[in-house]
Amino acid sequence: MTILRSGLFWLLAVLALPAAAHHGSSISYDTAKQWTTWARVVQFNYKNPHPTMTFEREVQGGVVEPWVSELLTNPSMMARQGWTKRKSEDALAPGTRVKLTLATSRAGGFSGIVMAIQGEDGAPIVGGGRPAQVPDLDGVPGGLQPEGDIVLPGQAVDGGAP
Amino acid sequence: MDGMVQSTRQPATTWPGTVTRAATASTLLIGALLGAPLGQAQPAAPTPTPGGIGNSDSDTRAYDKRDLSGLWARSPELYGEAPCPECREPVGWPGYGFFGDIPARTEEGQRRMDLNKPARGLELGSAEANARTDLDSGLRRAILPAFGNDPEMRCEPLGLARLITFAGPGAAMELIQQQDRILQTFEWTWDFREIWMDGRASPNVEDYLPRFNGYSVAHWEGDTLVVTSVGFDDRQWIDQHGYPLSSEAVLEERWDRPSPNRLRVQLTLTDPLLYTRPWQASTKVWSLIPKESMAIAGWSGILEDRCVPSDESMFNQVRDRAAGLGEE
Repeated sequence: MTILRSGLFWLLAVLALPAAAHHGSSISYDTAKQWTTWARVVQFNYKNPHPTMTFEREVQGGVVEPWVSELLTNPSMMARQGWTKRKSEDALAPGTRVKLTLATSRAGGFSGIVMAIQGEDGAPIVGGGRPAQVPDLDGVPGGLQPEGDIVLPGQAVDGGAP
Repeated sequence: MDGMVQSTRQPATTWPGTVTRAATASTLLIGALLGAPLGQAQPAAPTPTPGGIGNSDSDTRAYDKRDLSGLWARSPELYGEAPCPECREPVGWPGYGFFGDIPARTEEGQRRMDLNKPARGLELGSAEANARTDLDSGLRRAILPAFGNDPEMRCEPLGLARLITFAGPGAAMELIQQQDRILQTFEWTWDFREIWMDGRASPNVEDYLPRFNGYSVAHWEGDTLVVTSVGFDDRQWIDQHGYPLSSEAVLEERWDRPSPNRLRVQLTLTDPLLYTRPWQASTKVWSLIPKESMAIAGWSGILEDRCVPSDESMFNQVRDRAAGLGEE
């Protein structure tokens, strides 16, 4: 049980488990290509089915990018790990500087899924850490965007919903 | 949408590869532990036939095989309990669902199934979906959730089969057993159903309103509780893959407790309007979670993990942005 309750276990669990139940994240986002960046929290919403967060990241030239995101984890799992609503909202209060591990939406733009969050002290927030050796694109405009032709499964020819 | 994508897309970024081998190994480790459909790794053909899945429970204490009461979960690791390999879906299935020996649809069944647009399973048109011809086509047609119509993503009731077969992280349930009925409560969507054991017959559903969770009666056959449910609301999906169910469907559940800390069910769906033969699901297994382990700050039990429409609507705005829709 010691192993199961260890930080390593929870780190791995939070990275992996929610994929089973998430509302289609593996299709909406390119989770095979993750990257990190520093950001400032604008608003964090501890809600089902998955928390959402808006944040800003400052890039080259002082340009501020406004991003929208959903979190990989979910409130029930967070609560089971001790990341209750109050604790999570305090840790991600507006203006908080955090390091995010992201995957950009396959449609591109300032839209992504947050795979993990770290505070300025490096400690994981809301239960996650960050996978090793993903590219750090702090300050790089757009972060990592999709390349080539974008094919979104289910998208109608006119670009909207079918 | 087009403007947003074009204005924000950047020149190709040098990419050193996908997630590292170490991270992938870790992810697969947890996937193996907990049965999550991770990454692209689904190497083996699925096991279509229920049964023969073993039992990792080493508890040899005496117990009442007819007492199904308790808090049950399919990911006991989340509660600090020993792993339960047989609690996860058999290797090869994409995620979780009814699975098993998936029958061909009738013409009407296929028509209704084609109307359902799931966002889970193997991605439509992907190399993996095209390669996995061992899987039914219904498991290989997932599209972006923003373009789908999964009723779960509008917080509509999941329905009984989907409640039972949901095995996502933290999905727990409780069985509260009385002399004449069992109350089954489900954590995700905070739903419940009654299983009556007072000798009543299944209702003539034409006299009643259809229910998402149907009308359930049960009796014991040896130490197996046989539950028969009828009277379903046909707006539900059998599972997250969009298989339909008609109001004429009959769901048989055979529950047993093969060891002190395991609960097992074998499901058979008979729905001749939509399927060409009865559909036997892959066996589902739960692990008993002690009350003190399923607790937050001393408050034990399943969570009120509701799907709140206004919360879902907020989430769906983010979801739609990920599909290039909505406001920038």
